[in-house]
Amino acid sequence: MESILSFCFAVLIAPLLPAVIQKVKAYFAGKQGPPLLINYYTTIKLFKKGSVYSTSTSFVFKMGPVVGFTTSLMMLLFFPMGEVSPLLSFHGDVLILFYLMGLGRFFTILAALDTSSPFEGMGAAREAFFSTLAEATVFCILILFFRLTGSLSFNEFFSGPHAMNLMGEYGALLILVVVGLYIVMLTENSRVPVDDPATHLELTMIHEVMILDHSGPDLALIEMGAWFKLLFYSGFLARIIDPFHSENVIVNALLFYAVVIFVYVTVGVVESITARYKMNLVPKFILTPFILVFFVTILTMGVLQ
Amino acid sequence: MDTLFVSMAVIIAGGAAGLLLCRQFTLMKLVAIATTSVGCGIGLLFTVPKLLSGGAELAVTYNWLHVFTLAFKLDSVSLFFLIPIFLVPPLTLLYSFHYLENKDKKLRVGVSYFFFSVLVASMALVVMADNMITFLLAWELMSLSSFFLVMYDYEVYENRKAGYLYLIFAQGGAMLLFATFALIYRHTGSFDFASFASIPDASKLLVFILAFLGFGSKAGIFPLHIWLPKAHPAAPSHVSAIMSGVMIKMGIYGIFRIYLLLDAPTPVIGQIVLATGMVTGILGVVYALAKQDIKQLLAYSSVENIGIILIGLGIGMVGVSEQNQAMAFFGFAGALLHVFNHSIFKSLLFMGAGSVLHKAKTKNIEELGGLMKRMPVTGRTFLAGSVAISGLPPFSGFIGEFLIYYGAFQGLSSQNLPYIMTILAIVSLAVIGGLATACFTKVVGLGFLGEPRTAQAANAKESGFAMGFVMSIMALACLVIGVLPEPFVRLAFLGIQDVPAAAGFNTDSFIVIIQHISKTAALFIGLLLLVSLFRKMMYVKKEIGSGPTWGCGFTQPTVRMQYTGTSYAAEMIGFFKPFVPVKTVYTGIRKIFPGKTTWESEVVDIAESNYQLRLITPMLTLLGKLRWIQHGNIQLYIGYIIVAIIVLLLFL
Repeated sequence: MESILSFCFAVLIAPLLPAVIQKVKAYFAGKQGPPLLINYYTTIKLFKKGSVYSTSTSFVFKMGPVVGFTTSLMMLLFFPMGEVSPLLSFHGDVLILFYLMGLGRFFTILAALDTSSPFEGMGAAREAFFSTLAEATVFCILILFFRLTGSLSFNEFFSGPHAMNLMGEYGALLILVVVGLYIVMLTENSRVPVDDPATHLELTMIHEVMILDHSGPDLALIEMGAWFKLLFYSGFLARIIDPFHSENVIVNALLFYAVVIFVYVTVGVVESITARYKMNLVPKFILTPFILVFFVTILTMGVLQ
Repeated sequence: MDTLFVSMAVIIAGGAAGLLLCRQFTLMKLVAIATTSVGCGIGLLFTVPKLLSGGAELAVTYNWLHVFTLAFKLDSVSLFFLIPIFLVPPLTLLYSFHYLENKDKKLRVGVSYFFFSVLVASMALVVMADNMITFLLAWELMSLSSFFLVMYDYEVYENRKAGYLYLIFAQGGAMLLFATFALIYRHTGSFDFASFASIPDASKLLVFILAFLGFGSKAGIFPLHIWLPKAHPAAPSHVSAIMSGVMIKMGIYGIFRIYLLLDAPTPVIGQIVLATGMVTGILGVVYALAKQDIKQLLAYSSVENIGIILIGLGIGMVGVSEQNQAMAFFGFAGALLHVFNHSIFKSLLFMGAGSVLHKAKTKNIEELGGLMKRMPVTGRTFLAGSVAISGLPPFSGFIGEFLIYYGAFQGLSSQNLPYIMTILAIVSLAVIGGLATACFTKVVGLGFLGEPRTAQAANAKESGFAMGFVMSIMALACLVIGVLPEPFVRLAFLGIQDVPAAAGFNTDSFIVIIQHISKTAALFIGLLLLVSLFRKMMYVKKEIGSGPTWGCGFTQPTVRMQYTGTSYAAEMIGFFKPFVPVKTVYTGIRKIFPGKTTWESEVVDIAESNYQLRLITPMLTLLGKLRWIQHGNIQLYIGYIIVAIIVLLLFL
């Protein structure tokens, strides 16, 4: 029951949180910014609309948003949001989930290439490249967590005697993981400094340019999938950072979401004070966390004797 | 066991019938396909129940020419490899019914069916062989029959060249195998496979390395892979399918078999296999990404998958030397399962490529596009195969990789070198997966989606019924294995039941995981259908417009402006620069009033260019100096022969 409520809450709150980023950015720019509920309004508006399809496209173009949305939803089903055990969980679920994300990416890329637009092709090529690099870091993190906890499931990472937490037994090792995961989050969710959805030129975008031709409910599904994905990654980070623990489930959940909001605020701050990197610097930026986390996995040879 | 020989006889009879009936084109095709398929069916009906019942090992020996003993033995590993050997050929043969349509080449088609059946039978013999002589006979038969299959279109110069290159690698590999067996024979004085374990430990490593290189040249490990991207485009597509899907796995079988026979305790063997697997996997997929010819790309992708299989075997071998049974078990089982899965989706993809080549008359991605609408069956099945080969759930490729991952994760409890190797293996698998996604989104996205880039592609039609039917079956198989993996995982487990290191391992807890995987895949598909339904509802009574793709303000786009395969891959290729050099030729602008200028770029296979530079050129120079020996005087040649005989008789 708790799990169902927690899942529903996560799905409902996912559109709210990105507005926090916009608020922070507006604050830095000295503007008022959009209302916090802006994403709900946008979603409803998009669902009311029809769509225009390019004559170049086939059924794959329409599959892209559906697959992307479903894979993101799967992540929330398996991730212990709000320190409540998730709806589903089994030993080995992290592997299938990260591969399902890969499936979502596969179809997003195909949908972009289906439009035959050179801009979308360019975005697709970058997405394919950068996410491959990020994948190496993600698997390094999984290796580390497996080595420390002996489990391969999100739920088990954060429960039991060796729960992955900065305050826990291996907190010192996890500092670098937090940095690494943060960069992976920025990469996978197309945030500054890897990607800037708000630039004036399509040539310099990655994710945003891939969905240029989507409209109406299709676009709404893509946006919602992106919000779920961001919530998953920041939830992942929050579970590691979250220093508080209470016996009360609701207090725990509230504290967890407070940390999640903190992560969103930092994303807003990063976006406000940095610019997007030049494209040729991006691979180096994405490989940095790989080196960090790889270093930590080597360190475990000394820690665990 | 006799059933298997009967099935082989039927298979060969099918091929021979093809040869004899070649005047009646359609009848010949029907008889050859039906008979060979029946033979394969008999083989399957024997193999699968035998493997499932987990019966005792079978062995028979025959005397041949009074001198040689032909020994055959079946254990679980052999039985497992027999499944793809008997399963894939009937499908590819059925496909060939509409693929080999040219009535002017009656005889050639007949010969092709004959060698096809010989190839199938010889592959079965390879995995059944139980002594050196039997094995090498079967091995050579396999190499030669596949060589004739590659040479189908021998009028084309490029194809002849590819065929000869294949022959060189096949025979070079066989020579290494002869050397391996000779080394063993020197120690044991016996042709028997069972005697391998008794050679001194010190020689085992050398023996293994020789055999590894010999088998590796067949499997296509880096840098012995260069025949694959030449031979596969040259061969007819159903032949590439069987060669890539099944035949190169005989190299894997050989590596696994020699490892089991040697029973060597040294950990170096596992580390060599694992490291080779990683290099082969990553470089294979990067080269695949760099190629624009679909069949060449698929050939490199086979190299990549051989890498994944070797990573699995390597994990298993490291597990054995680390005495980590779980690691050994899942490594070996994952490798076997991936062998099986790859035989299905790679055959499917080669057949898809063949279908494209057949109708669009080109296999260059830069000249294709928009085929999904024009060839719906080929397009959809190719898409399924692409998802499967990228290792993505809910398709079959994921299951094999999951087992290998699982085995590798079990190895993380080691220390020092095995630990580092395991980490690198997991990371390589992840990177290979990501790059494979990039590679196959490129083929599907640029070859099948978007707008056709040439008139040929625009006028392409769907291929014949037999081709579409076979491809649909195989695409469905990929999905079924992905969603209901349990029986197939159990099959792989049964496949390694006779491996000593894996014996007695309790798999119950893992079967639970596989059931969860199955449920997750089903849940995903269910959710996907629900979301699709929701999307459909959202579009009820809505205005749906259609128009040109939004060109960011540019209003007169042409199809030439689409992203190309080269540009799609350029950034990723650049990342691997020292290993994947790009050669560009630019004639430049030199005069004040410049004339026509050209620019071309090509990704050079580093192995090929190094052979050329360091091996072939020096060897040609050296051998050129010995040319005076070949003077054309028959008297002197007879003199050579006499001298040779005298030397042999008197001094050796």
